Amino acid sequence: MRPLETERPPIVELIGVSRAYGLRHAVDAIDLALHPGELTLLVGPSGAGKTTLLKLINREIRPTGGEVWVAGIAAHRLKSSHVAELRRRVGVVFQDYKLLPRLNALENVAFGLQVGDLRISDAEARDRSLDALEAVGLGDRGGAFPHQLSGGQQQRVAIARAVVAQPPLLIADEPTGNLDQETAWEIMDLFEDIAAWGTAVLVATHNVEIVTRLKRRVVTLVDGRLVRDQPAGKTGRMAWLASS
Amino acid sequence: MKGRFPRRRLIQTVAANLVRLVFGSAARNWGRNIGSTAPALGSMTLLLVMSGLVGLTGFALHNLEVVQAREASLLHVYLRDDAADPDVVALWNRLSSDPRIAGVTYVSKADALARAHTIPGLPELANASESNPFPASLDVQVKSINDVGAIDAVARTERVVDPLNPTSYDRGAYQRIQAILFGIAVAGFAFVGLLGFVAVTVTMNSIKAAILSRRDEITIMQLVGAPRWMVRGPFVVEGAITGALAGIVAGAVTFGLAMSGIAAGSQSFTQFAPGVTTTVAAVAAAIVIGAGLGLGSGSSLLSMRRHMES
Repeated sequence: MRPLETERPPIVELIGVSRAYGLRHAVDAIDLALHPGELTLLVGPSGAGKTTLLKLINREIRPTGGEVWVAGIAAHRLKSSHVAELRRRVGVVFQDYKLLPRLNALENVAFGLQVGDLRISDAEARDRSLDALEAVGLGDRGGAFPHQLSGGQQQRVAIARAVVAQPPLLIADEPTGNLDQETAWEIMDLFEDIAAWGTAVLVATHNVEIVTRLKRRVVTLVDGRLVRDQPAGKTGRMAWLASS
Repeated sequence: MKGRFPRRRLIQTVAANLVRLVFGSAARNWGRNIGSTAPALGSMTLLLVMSGLVGLTGFALHNLEVVQAREASLLHVYLRDDAADPDVVALWNRLSSDPRIAGVTYVSKADALARAHTIPGLPELANASESNPFPASLDVQVKSINDVGAIDAVARTERVVDPLNPTSYDRGAYQRIQAILFGIAVAGFAFVGLLGFVAVTVTMNSIKAAILSRRDEITIMQLVGAPRWMVRGPFVVEGAITGALAGIVAGAVTFGLAMSGIAAGSQSFTQFAPGVTTTVAAVAAAIVIGAGLGLGSGSSLLSMRRHMES
């Protein structure tokens, strides 16, 4: 029997985390834990601190207070020279895909794999990249360049690149922001699949329909503070919408 | 034996990835960015050519200083044409026994004439006269250049010494040469320093432009966990390529100019640039290439420290 998510040690643990820019707190005293296999939606109005929180987890910035633990690594005190070790444990997906235009889909995925680990040969990188592309439904589009793919397909390639190294954590910042609703659902389905493989997935989103219909754990930030942590399977009020 | 082959294959894989992702990427991007790199390449080439020539000039001036110091401590005591041999020998003995003197050599009129033929400008003077115009002398090698004045004072009072032109001593000549050489060295360093500042600034700006144009690629590399050296490596290699090319061109120019001077074989070249040989020119060219590599990669590192987030 699969253990309950809360019984497994968390992949991400934030303890009293704050990040201030001058006098303004982008995030303030956040406590949060993400477990393997858990898909969590991070919601809140613009400027609530969602992106800051993702950047803290990926150690793009340091907290001004508190502790950030990611896959056993103390990100809050991690030196710049060791950040790569943490990043190899975190897959990242952006709203604007961030694919390299001169590389085709397969090469984009393989690039992400090989620059993170030089020990991976071309043949192995190709095989694993193809597997990842097949997993996101693009097994037959490996030779296509980004400009030959739709937005949804480009986002799938970006997701394949993020998960090809099988990180225990995937974070996505507004991954459906540039997509129509139907494509957005396809992408969210993919995130559910990835969570089902055992990866902790944290998705920052503005998409109300996704949040209300998906019935996954929803963490709400307002003015940098965690105001609501709604467990999966429940539907809560979207009070933050009033200020978004 | 069993474990060796996979280990070798792992090393091969890492090396192949390293070459492709760092050096190959750098070479491709260098080719793509040639437009923004051209000013850096030009200014660095100019700097390195000037540095090479200033370096060779400095080497020649250093040798010239050594020659001048040796010559300045060699005092020619000119003898009267009618000086009697016993008197000359007596003076030779007195000078030789002086502890401040390293050695005394007698130079006859015939030897002086032969020597004059080897000095630029003097053969014409020698040929203009029917008789030998050069006096015999005692060449006194003084141990310390500071004692030359005192030895001169002793020698010029001797009866056998030419009263009109007693010695070759020129008070302060060596100090004047030293002052001139020091001035030239300071001016040379200042000039190269200024050029160096310009070259480093232009190179840093070209690398900054390269960083900005590849911001997405850098972001992706950083986010997928590429180590910092791997993110920065291609830019260092790009800078090194620029520096190496500038160095090769500048090294060739430096070597070519030096060899032209040597090949011309003029006496003035060997007189004013003593010690500059083919080997010295080749070493100078090699140093210029190395300096180009260092300058290019160093400028890139500086630029990345300023413009690239970790």
